[in-house]
Amino acid sequence: MKPEVDVVLRSMMTKLLVEVAPAIGDAYVRSNVESMVALLAAAAEEFDRAAEVRVAENRSMRAILRAAAVQVPDGDLRARLALAAEESDPSLRIADLNASNDRLRALLIELQALVEGSDEGWAREIDGAIWAELRASARRRAISFYPF
Amino acid sequence: MRELGERIAAYLAHRWPQAADVDVEAIDRIFGGASRETYRLTVRLREGGGLRHLRLILRRDPTSSLIETDRATEFRAYAAFHGTNVPVPRPLFLETDPRWLDRPFFVMEEIIGAVSTPKLLTEHPYLDCREAIGERKWRILGLIARTDPAKVGLLDALEAPVLEECWRRELDYWERIIDEDEMTPQPIARAAIRRLRRDPPPPPRRLSVVHGDYRTGNFLFDDTGRIHAILDWEMCHLGDPLEDLAWALDPLWSWPDRELPGKLLPRERALALWEEASGMTIDRRALGWWEIFASVKGLAIWISSGREFADGRNQDPILALASWFPTDVHDRVLVERLAPEVDRS
Repeated sequence: MKPEVDVVLRSMMTKLLVEVAPAIGDAYVRSNVESMVALLAAAAEEFDRAAEVRVAENRSMRAILRAAAVQVPDGDLRARLALAAEESDPSLRIADLNASNDRLRALLIELQALVEGSDEGWAREIDGAIWAELRASARRRAISFYPF
Repeated sequence: MRELGERIAAYLAHRWPQAADVDVEAIDRIFGGASRETYRLTVRLREGGGLRHLRLILRRDPTSSLIETDRATEFRAYAAFHGTNVPVPRPLFLETDPRWLDRPFFVMEEIIGAVSTPKLLTEHPYLDCREAIGERKWRILGLIARTDPAKVGLLDALEAPVLEECWRRELDYWERIIDEDEMTPQPIARAAIRRLRRDPPPPPRRLSVVHGDYRTGNFLFDDTGRIHAILDWEMCHLGDPLEDLAWALDPLWSWPDRELPGKLLPRERALALWEEASGMTIDRRALGWWEIFASVKGLAIWISSGREFADGRNQDPILALASWFPTDVHDRVLVERLAPEVDRS
């Protein structure tokens, strides 16, 4: 069996931290290696969850856009929201998921700028749903440790 | 590094014609200077018949940096505050001629016997004098706010915005950084910017010197509780003093601890010390505006550092670190500040 990517990264991280960094005399170079260790640890975490995070985000954003598409008065925006809501991610490759994510986020920004200025009930609901998703997104994407 | 040391020695010999046998005996690069390359130098020279050893710091523009800043601004700020009750290292030379070290740089005296690493504040012996360091930190920030920019020569050296425009100038600047450098749409930052524009703060009563990056990590302290110097003035400008206060209070600098801003003192104690030293009363609503702004400015810096790294202009690991970790923190901080009270589970 081949070890998974995150297992390899964590192993390299331990090697760098325990054996390589202490053997480096130059403090600047040693600090750089320690920074790389933190980046490897984050990369290992991200390897495991990257696709899941993006799929979940894209699904949530499409649900919000779908709900908004039947409410917003602007015909052009309504059509773009409806179209984006019905799209699906072309594959589970990170580049494809990111491309979808970027398009959906851009629309989410446009939609929020519209609804946050409105007192209508549907707009308040959509604004609340957007904030709930932004909160969830910030939590999903947070790396589980802080190296500073 | 040896060649760089020789070139620095040649420069110092040029600046000190009265000295002979100028030699850089040791040169070490200091980690963490994301906006400048920072080097620690031990210099030996002969002067007046005697041998002297000097400890200096050299800050050189990098080929590309986390934030584009003017080294002249930083040098002027050191010159303005040196010898005042705001401690800073003594600045020596500012050099913009690229023939010496390829890129502009400046030289200042090194402060010996003090450290700046924030993590040390949670360990002995520094933990024992954390309160004293905290008191000094917030008082010094108050003193900076109290300083008349004209009296230290900064009113003519830095752009002076009208009071009503302080907030807009800063927000416009950092929004433009996000516009230029974002690699992916930023819904949280954009929502925060819209909120800030909808509800701007009142103008400050008077223009203050704003350090621009006043935080734990940017001052030198020792294990007796003394702060020896405030560093990293590259984002210094004139503006609303609450901008500095809000930046120093940002949860990032003590993350994940929210109780002790900058890992030092409880928030209300910090605010009381600042008010006492500055002679100003804090407008809490205005401070709230500047605290949201601080996290937006932070995001702009982390977005910019990620862009520098991704484009290959500067692949120092500190830029990737600055992009990955603080971005997450500031997104979370802003959501907590801005999201409606519903759905806080």
